[in-house]
Amino acid sequence: MTTRATAPVLAGSEGALSARQRDRWNRYLAAYLMVLPTFLFIGYFLYYPAYRALTGGFTHWDGFNAPIWAGWDNFQRAIDDDILQTAIKNNLIWAAIEILLAVIPSFAVAALIFHVSSDRARYLYRSFFVIPIILPTIVTILLWRYFYQTSGLINYILDGVGLDGVTRPWIGDPQTALYALALMGFPWVNAFNMLIFYAGLQNIPTEVIEAARLDGAAGWRRLFTIEIPMVASQFKLLLILAIINSGQNIVTPLVMTRGGPGYSTYTVSYYMYETAVDYGEFGYSMAIALMLFIVIIAMTALSQLLNRE
Amino acid sequence: MNRASGLARHLILIVLALLALFPLAFLFMNSTKTELEYSKDPLGLPTSFNWHNFTDAYDVVIRPIFNSVVVVGVSVLGIVSLAAMSAYAFTFMRFPLRRLLFVMVFALLLIPGVLTLIPLYLQIKRLDFMGLSNSWGGLILPYIAGGQAFSIFVLRTFFGGISKDLVDAARVDGASEWHILGKIVVPLSIPVLVSVIVINVVPLWNDYLLPSLLLSEKYRTLTVALVSLQGNAQTHSSSQFGTLMAAYVISCIPLAIVFTFLMRYYVQGLTSGALKL
Repeated sequence: MTTRATAPVLAGSEGALSARQRDRWNRYLAAYLMVLPTFLFIGYFLYYPAYRALTGGFTHWDGFNAPIWAGWDNFQRAIDDDILQTAIKNNLIWAAIEILLAVIPSFAVAALIFHVSSDRARYLYRSFFVIPIILPTIVTILLWRYFYQTSGLINYILDGVGLDGVTRPWIGDPQTALYALALMGFPWVNAFNMLIFYAGLQNIPTEVIEAARLDGAAGWRRLFTIEIPMVASQFKLLLILAIINSGQNIVTPLVMTRGGPGYSTYTVSYYMYETAVDYGEFGYSMAIALMLFIVIIAMTALSQLLNRE
Repeated sequence: MNRASGLARHLILIVLALLALFPLAFLFMNSTKTELEYSKDPLGLPTSFNWHNFTDAYDVVIRPIFNSVVVVGVSVLGIVSLAAMSAYAFTFMRFPLRRLLFVMVFALLLIPGVLTLIPLYLQIKRLDFMGLSNSWGGLILPYIAGGQAFSIFVLRTFFGGISKDLVDAARVDGASEWHILGKIVVPLSIPVLVSVIVINVVPLWNDYLLPSLLLSEKYRTLTVALVSLQGNAQTHSSSQFGTLMAAYVISCIPLAIVFTFLMRYYVQGLTSGALKL
């Protein structure tokens, strides 16, 4: 503030201009200082690692010594890698299930709650579906591991209702293990997704709802002509998040099955993790990560294009 | 017809809510049982009350819970402080490269964590000279980085709704940008700041991969401790089943406390409409 007052007196009109300029640069400086901490953090912990990931795939690298340039070696190896082929196939099946389960049950519950007439009941229902969030994800995984075991809860229930013919070690049987992991978490209502959908439904203008009511649109027709189109942007967001998540299933196979039995629950990201963490082949691991990244980005872009149609 | 469909709606919602709440109920019911009691009837109410399940579990999980609370608590405060500064600059200030810098933050939302997990781990290891890779700091710093994109995005949307005239008037009065941020914008934004904090708590509290790679036993977070506890219970006798269930029940308490007081903010944060494409 002092510069503004004293500079013109000292340096005349030319000084006044530079003082104003100095003032502007001071404001720029303040702005840069405000964003600087964010950029230091994301630069060191996100952008640089992402750069290492993108370039690491073209090297042989044990994670400690300097990487050695390897050209396309790792990608060549990936083409002939049977485990990777299995992991890709598993991942596609899992992703299809996961994406559907991320969107449909949460939307259905949001829509059901939205049409409950009493304010109080709506609030209560929303709370009921948010409360399970206090259960740590890892506990859900460990608990479902118990449910799926030979002497676990699911077989106990099947026995109880006379279906003892279908009991099996759900995650020990290569026929069912992958589906067991993908279908974990019944009834699949995700609090985060449900609330996003609910917000979308709440933001439908009352005139639209009124007009639909006068037209006699109700039930399924209202659902497909009004509600689903009006929350399209929420569908898009959650679809993208689900696609990104479907490429990141590491913890579930790691904790439940270690990828087994055989390779039946290997996902691409779990294979990437194992290649680096258990076998120290960081170069090959990064090559897998890079390919996975490209596929995820491509699928995200594709989903956006299809949405636009 | 309306009446009947309304009833059906309530019925479906109640059944689904009960199913969604079932895992919690299952934990509670079995946390005081003996192994024998559990294997006879896993769905029944407990007939005995083995309080020692809880005292045994408490000894195992209390230190990891403390570690998790420290890591997550410091991380979310760091996230929201840095994000508020950046969101302020992006909303209220004009400066060269503003647009590009914002796009650089926003693009982070599209980088899957799985891509950077391994190099991030190596990157944290490089900070060993600060004693970081094997203590709380080794998690806190990358967590602060990871929370920026989402939080800046939400805060910028909210700040955009604050009257620009108010900010300009303060500038004319000679207030510095830091002063406007601290004395005007932050006080007006307390609810959304709390929302951002609560929304960030959940994924950090649940994170398993990074802590499992980094931390030694002393600094182990809750998720890592629960997985190794389960491993122990299996290699040793399975009589520890009740202890395991009790440990899971205890592990729900911190988020239960957070959500008892702040669920409103979580719900408001997600239903404010800031999140869409």
